[in-house]
Amino acid sequence: MFFPKEMTELELIIPSKDVAAVAKVLSGRGVFHQVDSAYLGLENLGPSAWQEKAGNYSALERRIQTMMQTLGLPEEYPAKASAENIVEVEAIRPAVERIDEQVKGNGDQLSSEKKHLELLESQLRQLEPIADVKVEVGALNKSAYLHSILGALPASNISRLRTSIGRVPHVFFTLREDSQKPVVWVLGPKSNSDVLDRAAKSAYLAPLSLPEELSGTPEQITATLRKEIEASKKKIADLEANLNKLGGVHKTELQKLLWDAHVSRVMADAIVRFGQLRHTYVVVGWAPSVSLNGLTAQLKEVSKEILIEKHTPSRSEHNSNIPVALTENKWLRPIQELVTTFGRPSYGELDPTLIMALSFPILYGAMFGDIGQGLVLMLVGILAHKRIFMKGLQSLGLLLVYAGFFATVFGFLYGSIFGFEGHSAEVYLPFTLHPLWLSPLENILTILGFAIDAGIVILIFGYLLSLFNTARLKDWAHFWFGHTGVVALIFYFCFLALLGNFLGDTAIAPKVAVAIGQLPLPFNILTPVFALGLMFNGLFRNIAEGHRPYVQGGVFMFIVTSFMDLFEGVISMLSNTLSFVRVGAFAVAHGGLSLAIFSLAGEEPTIGFWITIILGNIFIIGFEGLIVYIQTMRLHYYEILGKFFHGGGLRFEPLKLKPSQEEA
Amino acid sequence: MASGVSGYAAISTRVRAMYSDLLSPQEITRLSESPDFSSLVSALKSTPYGKYLSGLKDNELTPRRVIQAIKHRLADSFSSVAQQAPEQTRPLVKQLYRYFEVGNLKAVLRSIQTVSSWNAEVATWDRVREVLFPFGSFSTIPAQAMVESGSVGSAVEFLKGTAYEETMSFAMKRFSAEQNLFPLEVALDLDYWRKIWSEAKKLSGKDREMATKIIGSLMDMNNLMWAIRYKVYHKLSEEELINYTLPFGYRVSDEDVRAIAAGSDIASVISRIYPNIPDVSALLENPQAGLPKLEQALKQQVVKTCTSAFIGDPFHIGIPLAYLILSDYEVQDLIILLEAKYTNMADADYRPLLLKPAAV
Repeated sequence: MFFPKEMTELELIIPSKDVAAVAKVLSGRGVFHQVDSAYLGLENLGPSAWQEKAGNYSALERRIQTMMQTLGLPEEYPAKASAENIVEVEAIRPAVERIDEQVKGNGDQLSSEKKHLELLESQLRQLEPIADVKVEVGALNKSAYLHSILGALPASNISRLRTSIGRVPHVFFTLREDSQKPVVWVLGPKSNSDVLDRAAKSAYLAPLSLPEELSGTPEQITATLRKEIEASKKKIADLEANLNKLGGVHKTELQKLLWDAHVSRVMADAIVRFGQLRHTYVVVGWAPSVSLNGLTAQLKEVSKEILIEKHTPSRSEHNSNIPVALTENKWLRPIQELVTTFGRPSYGELDPTLIMALSFPILYGAMFGDIGQGLVLMLVGILAHKRIFMKGLQSLGLLLVYAGFFATVFGFLYGSIFGFEGHSAEVYLPFTLHPLWLSPLENILTILGFAIDAGIVILIFGYLLSLFNTARLKDWAHFWFGHTGVVALIFYFCFLALLGNFLGDTAIAPKVAVAIGQLPLPFNILTPVFALGLMFNGLFRNIAEGHRPYVQGGVFMFIVTSFMDLFEGVISMLSNTLSFVRVGAFAVAHGGLSLAIFSLAGEEPTIGFWITIILGNIFIIGFEGLIVYIQTMRLHYYEILGKFFHGGGLRFEPLKLKPSQEEA
Repeated sequence: MASGVSGYAAISTRVRAMYSDLLSPQEITRLSESPDFSSLVSALKSTPYGKYLSGLKDNELTPRRVIQAIKHRLADSFSSVAQQAPEQTRPLVKQLYRYFEVGNLKAVLRSIQTVSSWNAEVATWDRVREVLFPFGSFSTIPAQAMVESGSVGSAVEFLKGTAYEETMSFAMKRFSAEQNLFPLEVALDLDYWRKIWSEAKKLSGKDREMATKIIGSLMDMNNLMWAIRYKVYHKLSEEELINYTLPFGYRVSDEDVRAIAAGSDIASVISRIYPNIPDVSALLENPQAGLPKLEQALKQQVVKTCTSAFIGDPFHIGIPLAYLILSDYEVQDLIILLEAKYTNMADADYRPLLLKPAAV
């Protein structure tokens, strides 16, 4: 639960005769992440027959898909998919060719007729800009002294074309101003025709192309073209009706053929990536350890002579090539999506989903504490999750429920319901509501200080998790001297002690920092010692890891950059700590926004008053709810996850026959 | 300024941290002292590229695979900056990233064209994939389907609905007539740089100033090199050269490009724009050997512009842009090193091509 699923590397040696059956098991169970045999260095054993087969299946699958598209059929598999076996190419091909023959005739006619219609329409469009010109179109090209070029070109090329012919006499008309295909007419002396032609060609000008049989003025040609367009449209409608009829006849058969070709293609593709030896195949890949028994049992069932080598690497080994399968839990899916947006945990790394499942809603609730609005958020979340309302938010539905729940809890703590709190609750509501903890508006400094305290605890927790991660990975250089290593953590304590002593008994002083400052420890000695440690972290890491040169860019530059590192470290610690002030600030702002709504609503509980309160609450839920969501995400991405989570894991992509829902 | 500070506080810090992870000229020199390809790869493993190389086993260390692996770091930098850049600058960063997609698109088209002209079997996706930039989910082109389509015409059909559709629709008319990828590639390049320039111009204040300076410097280099190559190698006419270049940039103006197109002395044009580049005339006397050196000198100008972005006010898009361009140049240096070591090239032949040690 706290780590990606444990993975086991499998190496299978399969007799050639069993290769299809093994491929079926590996593809059918959806738990095997294949590693390409090319990476085993076995690819030079000659072309495999399976490569050709995979190509044939792929071509057949595409051909069936094209037919289905032509017939207007959705690309669906049969409701009851037939056996998941490799079907011989020759068992599929005759049926595909038979149907294709019927479809192709109509389809080809339809596509050629559509192209014809497109051509006619484009000719008509080309004539539109010169519809009023009372000249025979053909005559433009027959002039003895003038060279004329009429055509369309990319809009961005017009000014360049004009520049390019600036040195020869010419007349330039833009006949149609169109952002995509403007039409221009360039006229110049016949003696410069080569320059004009080269310029037009290099500006990608496509000259007006009218067939010779279309003669006369633009008006006459337009009338002829319109008639032809009508006839073409009618022909297209007839052909489409024929294809619809054919679609009805062949739908079931095509769906079955598509399934057979698809299943065969997926398995053949997998086999192509097996390493081929003389009489055997070698397959390498990964499977979650929990699925291993089922998978190996099934493999042994279909291939008695199969050899299976298993290796379950430790999480602390080199693991960047191990695919990462995250624990699937529908209740945690929206949180997992938030985590994977930041990064996919690497194999040995702690998966922060569970931690974030707690911290995200709590921080959200603390900033958006209101019983009524929290319940509304929960309701919206439930409806969205069930796809009853706001279907677009379905993936976020559960997150809204969790955030709404904690907003409700904090609503009780703050004593706020739909913005009514304290005196306003007594006046307008039939019950009294007292905060179980405190009202943010009346205890601004207390809540801000508490927010910083909470932030300090969360940050220290983040440092500890980072130590845990690096210790598990046996990355001792980073454990001691990393940006969130032991030295940095101790310096953070010293920094807090200084902060606590500095702020002393002021209202905003973080209690945790003050408490640390009062510990009987020699912070005046520890602080400079660990500041130096933090300053030269990079050097210590280089020494620990044996990276040479230990000091880069000369001693002076090294000291300057080290000092800047220390400066940046201190600034980061300060800004990370103070960043949590926003939690308290938003709790206060939430109350303030409600007060603003009440000011607009007035004092008398008229209909207008209640309408303003309802609209105001909708505004707060929609607008402030979104801002608080962004702030919560920001706190997690910048302040919390950045402390201990690196990501960069390889996605687990098992072989599958049916495309199923994507893993987060 | 306030919005600049709030918008850039995080990204500026992150980019500066990433910037400090770029290899120093001394490190590049140290890498170049590796006796052979495998020692170079081992040395690279102890740099920030190590994470990307750790998945490669010793028996699969080919230059292509290693290059592909180190390009992943560049791809990660781009995605990270693209995601964190302030909203108004994100289209610009994404467009800068599209440079590699345009490169992939050209590689895909070249692979199709090369194979069909050899009349060999259809290029397999696996062969092409190895040379493509690992663009990941940012990619909008269905490269595999394009490669497998077998013809440039059918491949371009797959670009419908992408940002390349309109450009390619005009360029394909020329391809159909000429059966040459040149018009397609030029159209893609021009479209790319026009779009990125327009994105830079959409910004305001310091963002606009820094973006036009950095992107403009890159454009200057490309525009000048295009103009020179079209003139010297392709012998294009004045009007063609004008249409195949751009009328804007940071230091190179339309007048400069037009002067080259009209036949002015190229060396004097360049010396006027970049008085600090020495011996331009000598370089252009033997274009075969001189043009790569000139390009190198122009790249040094870009490096200077990028490095200067890190000095002064840190709250603008110049810092992320400069970092990304410097990262790209670093990867280019590493590619040169890897290929040189793999082919046992003499030090004197490849060292002048490295950008970083020259920048010291």
